Amino acid sequence: MNITAKELNTIQACRYCPMCRQSCPSEFINYKESDTPRGRAMLLYSVYKGGKPFEASTVEAMYNCFLCGACKSWCEGQELGGYDIPELVKFARRDIVDQGLAPQIVQDIRNSLLVHDNTQALDKSHAFTATVEEKRADVLYLLGEGVDYRYPEIARAFVQILQTAGVDHTLLKSEPNSGKELDLLGYRDDAKEKASALINRIQATGCRTVVVSDPLVYDAFKNDYEQWGITLEAEVLHVSEYLLRLIQGGKLRLKPVDFTVTLADSEFLGRFNGLYEIPRAVIQSFNPVQFVEMQWHHGYMQSTGEAAFTFDDKAFGRGKDLGEKISTKAEEAGAEIIVVLSVTAKQHISATTSLKVVDIVEFVNEHIDIF
Amino acid sequence: MNIAKTSYMFDMLLFELRDIVGKEYVSVRDSDKEVYSVDYFWLPEMCHDRQDRSNITRPMADFIVHPANAEDVSKILKIANNYKIPVTAWGGGSGSQGGALPVFGGIILDTKRMDTIYKIDEQSMTVEVGTGIIHQTLEWELEQKGFSTMHDPGSARCATVGGFIAHRGTGVLSTKYGKIEDMIVNMEIVLPTGEIIRTLPVPKTACGPDLNQIFIGAEGTMGIVTKVTLTIHRLPETRAFRAFVFKDLETGLRVGQRLVSENLQPSVIRLYSENETKEVIKKVLGIEKTGAYMVYGFDGKKDMVDLQMKYAQEIADSEGGEDLGAHPGEQWWNNRYKFFFPPYMYRLPQCFGTLDTVASYSDIQNVYNAMKDVVEKQYPMARFIGHFSHWFPWGAMLYGRFIIDTPPEDPHEAIYLHNSIWNDALRAAMAAGGVLNEHHGIGLKLSRLTPELYGEAFQLLKNVKTTLDPNGIMNPGKLGFGIG
Ligand SMILES: Cc1cc2nc3c(=O)[nH]c(=O)nc-3n(C[C@H](O)[C@H](O)[C@H](O)COP(=O)(O)OP(=O)(O)OC[C@H]3O[C@@H](n4cnc5c(N)ncnc54)[C@H](O)[C@@H]3O)c2cc1C
Repeated sequence: MNITAKELNTIQACRYCPMCRQSCPSEFINYKESDTPRGRAMLLYSVYKGGKPFEASTVEAMYNCFLCGACKSWCEGQELGGYDIPELVKFARRDIVDQGLAPQIVQDIRNSLLVHDNTQALDKSHAFTATVEEKRADVLYLLGEGVDYRYPEIARAFVQILQTAGVDHTLLKSEPNSGKELDLLGYRDDAKEKASALINRIQATGCRTVVVSDPLVYDAFKNDYEQWGITLEAEVLHVSEYLLRLIQGGKLRLKPVDFTVTLADSEFLGRFNGLYEIPRAVIQSFNPVQFVEMQWHHGYMQSTGEAAFTFDDKAFGRGKDLGEKISTKAEEAGAEIIVVLSVTAKQHISATTSLKVVDIVEFVNEHIDIF
Repeated sequence: MNIAKTSYMFDMLLFELRDIVGKEYVSVRDSDKEVYSVDYFWLPEMCHDRQDRSNITRPMADFIVHPANAEDVSKILKIANNYKIPVTAWGGGSGSQGGALPVFGGIILDTKRMDTIYKIDEQSMTVEVGTGIIHQTLEWELEQKGFSTMHDPGSARCATVGGFIAHRGTGVLSTKYGKIEDMIVNMEIVLPTGEIIRTLPVPKTACGPDLNQIFIGAEGTMGIVTKVTLTIHRLPETRAFRAFVFKDLETGLRVGQRLVSENLQPSVIRLYSENETKEVIKKVLGIEKTGAYMVYGFDGKKDMVDLQMKYAQEIADSEGGEDLGAHPGEQWWNNRYKFFFPPYMYRLPQCFGTLDTVASYSDIQNVYNAMKDVVEKQYPMARFIGHFSHWFPWGAMLYGRFIIDTPPEDPHEAIYLHNSIWNDALRAAMAAGGVLNEHHGIGLKLSRLTPELYGEAFQLLKNVKTTLDPNGIMNPGKLGFGIG
C-alpha cells in the first residue's frame, strides 16, 4: 500500500523520539525497544521509506501494539494533539494483510470471527443470545462478544435493569459481530461486510436506540461506520450513557452505596470517544457514595488491553500484567470496588486483586430496588 | 563480534543466555536489533534516515538480554567473559552520545526490567530503586507520597535512573538540588567479571576513597549499576519564577553568579545568550527583545521564597535588568517538557549537536565566546546558540548547540563535517578552560577526545579500566577506551 501523508508524518515525528515510552503498556510487558511507539515508527520508516520488506519480527511488533492510544495521550507534540500511532499501526496491519503476511494467530482469529462471530472459535450455541427471543422494540441492547460469551451475568443484569425501568427492549438472537475486531486486525473488507450485516439486523428490529456494552463496538459505531459509508437510523449510546438517562429520568430507585468506589477508564470509550464523565456521573448519582480517583485516570488512564488480541505471536495471555497495574492503584486509592467498562478490564483486573471488580451495569443493578 | 545466526555457536550462546533470564527475555529478532542500533545520537539517526539513499550501515547487537536482577547480570557478564563478547548496557536509549550503541556487536543488556522501588525511607529521606526504572515512573510514585528526588531532566519520561548515573545527568533544579551524582547514597554494582558489590551505606565517610565515583559517569565501561539509594525531598510548598532581560550576556552571567554566591539558593537559573534570547522571547512572549534573557526561580516555604524573590529582584534591579514579570517563568516551568517533543525538537535531515560544557565563573564567558567564534567563523553553514542553565558555587554550565539545516547529502561527508565541528568547538572550549561535557556524557561521540581532555591522567583511568575489566568486554569503543 502507498503510505499516506498523514501516516508518513507520524513516522517522521516518532521514529527517533522516545518521549512517550513510559506510557506504552506493551513495552512494559516484555521491555523490548521494538514494542515502543518509537520502535514501531522506526521499523515502519524502514519499510515505507527504506523499501525493506515486512520481516516477521516487524509484523510481530505491529501486532504487539495494544492500539490503546496511551502514547498519543502523553504526547505533548503537534500542539498537544499528539501523533496518532494507533492509526499508523492499523494502517500497517492492513498493508500486512494485503501482502498476505498476517501471522497465523491473526489468520486464526479472523477465521474464527468469520465462522463463529467471535475471536475464540466458540460455538454460537454458547452465546447468551443464542436462546433469546428477538422482537421489534424501541431499544436494542447489543452485548458484544465478551458479555455474550464470557460474562452473561452482565447481560442478565442489564436486562433486569431494563425490565425494572419498564423499557421496551430486545436483543439480537445469536448476536452478529460488529466487524471491529476484524478491522483492528487489518481486515477492513471483512469488517465492512460484518458491519453491514449487523446494521441490517438492527434495522429489522425497528429500534430507535441502540445501547452498546462493548467499548470496541461503541467505537465502531461512533468512528468507523460512517467512514465506511455505513449508516444507521438510530441513536447509539453506551450502557453508561443509557443508565444515566434512566437514572436522571427517575426510572430507577437508587440505594445507598456503603463502599468506596473507583472507576477504571476504558481506552476505547475515553481516549477515542471522550466518554469520561458519564460513567463517573452514573456512580456519583448514588447517594451516598464515596468515589475516589486512582492516580491515573481520564486520558492518562492505565490501559486495560481492550484491543490486545495478540502479543508475541500468541493470543493475548498477559492481561494480568496490565490488570495488576490498575488494581495496585485502586488499592492505593483506598477503593473497595473497582467499576469497569469492559469485560476485558473485568477479566484482567479481577485476576490480580481481592477487591470487588464489577461492570458498571452490575454495579447499578446491585444498588437499585428491583420491583 | 557478530556471530552468524547459521553458526552453531549462535545456538550455544543463545541457549546459555536463555537459561539465565528465560526464553522471552532474550531477543534475536531483527526488529529489535534494528531499533537498538539507534539511540538519541544524531549519527545513527542520520544513517537510519538515509537508508533509502545510501548504503551506510549501523553496527547491531547479536543478543538483547533483559535481566531481572544483579544475579542475572552477574551470570551474563561471566558468560561474556568466557567467550569475550562485548556487553553494552541500554537503559532508555535516550543518550545523545551513542553511549548505548553496540558498536562492536555482542550483547545489549537492557536494564529496564530492574525497575522495582524497594524502599521509600521517610525518616532518612531516601529511596532505594532498581536502576532500570524510567525516572518519571519513580517520580510519580514519590509524588504520591509528597516527595521528589528533585532530579528533573527533560528526558525524565524516557531515561532510566541508571542512564543518568552513567552520564552524570543534570535536571533543571540542579542549581539547588545538585546533579544525580549528588543524590547518590549508595549503589549495588555488578563488576565486569561478575562480582556483585555494594558501596558503603552512606557516602560521607572517612573510610578511604569513595568507590561510587569509579562507576558514576563511567557509562557502563566499569560495570553495571543495578540498584541505587537516592536522596529525596519533600515537595515544596510553593514555587516562584521571574524573568528579566539584561543588556548583554556578561551582565546576565554576573547576575547568575551573584544569585548563587549571595547564598539565595535559587532552584532554577536559565540565562540565554543574545542569539537565543531573540528566538526564545519571540516564542514565549511574542515580542522582539535584544539582550540576555533570564528566568530564575525559587522553591520551598512560601515566606522564605518571598524573601528569596525579594533579594533576587534587588540583584536583578541593581544590574539594570528589565523586569518581565512572573508569567514567562511560570510558562517555561509548565511547558518545560513540551519543547522536547516533535515537531519542536531539531530533526533529521538537520545536523545538530548539544555542546554542553562547564567552566569556572572566570572562564565561562571565554568558553562561550571561543565556541561561538569557532562554529560561526569556521562553519558558516552552522548556527550556534547557547544558554546557561546549571549554576554551581564555582562556575556554570553552558548548553551550547550547533544546527545545520542542510548538511551534505553524502553521509560520510556529513559525518566528517559533524565530527569536525565537535573537535574544533570542544578544543576551543578546552583551551579556554572548559571540558568535553557537563551532563550528556562522552559515549562514542566524544570518545576520541577523552585522552586529550585527561592528558597524562588518562593512563590512570585506563589502568582502572583494565584492572576491573581485563577482557575489555564492557561497552568497548566508549569513553576513550578501545576494544579488548
Ligand atoms: C528529549 C531529551 C531530553 C534530554 N534532556 C536531558 C536533561 O535535561 N538532562 C540530562 O542529563 N540528559 C538529558 N538527555 C540525555 C539523556 O536522557 C541522558 O543522557 C540519560 O542519562 C540517558 O539515560 P538512558 O537511560 O536513556 O541511557 P542510555 O542512553 O540507554 O545509556 C546511556 C549510557 O549509560 C549506560 N548505562 C545505562 N544504564 C546503565 C547502568 N544501569 N549501569 C551502567 N551503565 C549504564 C549505557 O551503556 C550508555 O553508555 C535528554 C535526552 C532526550 C532524548
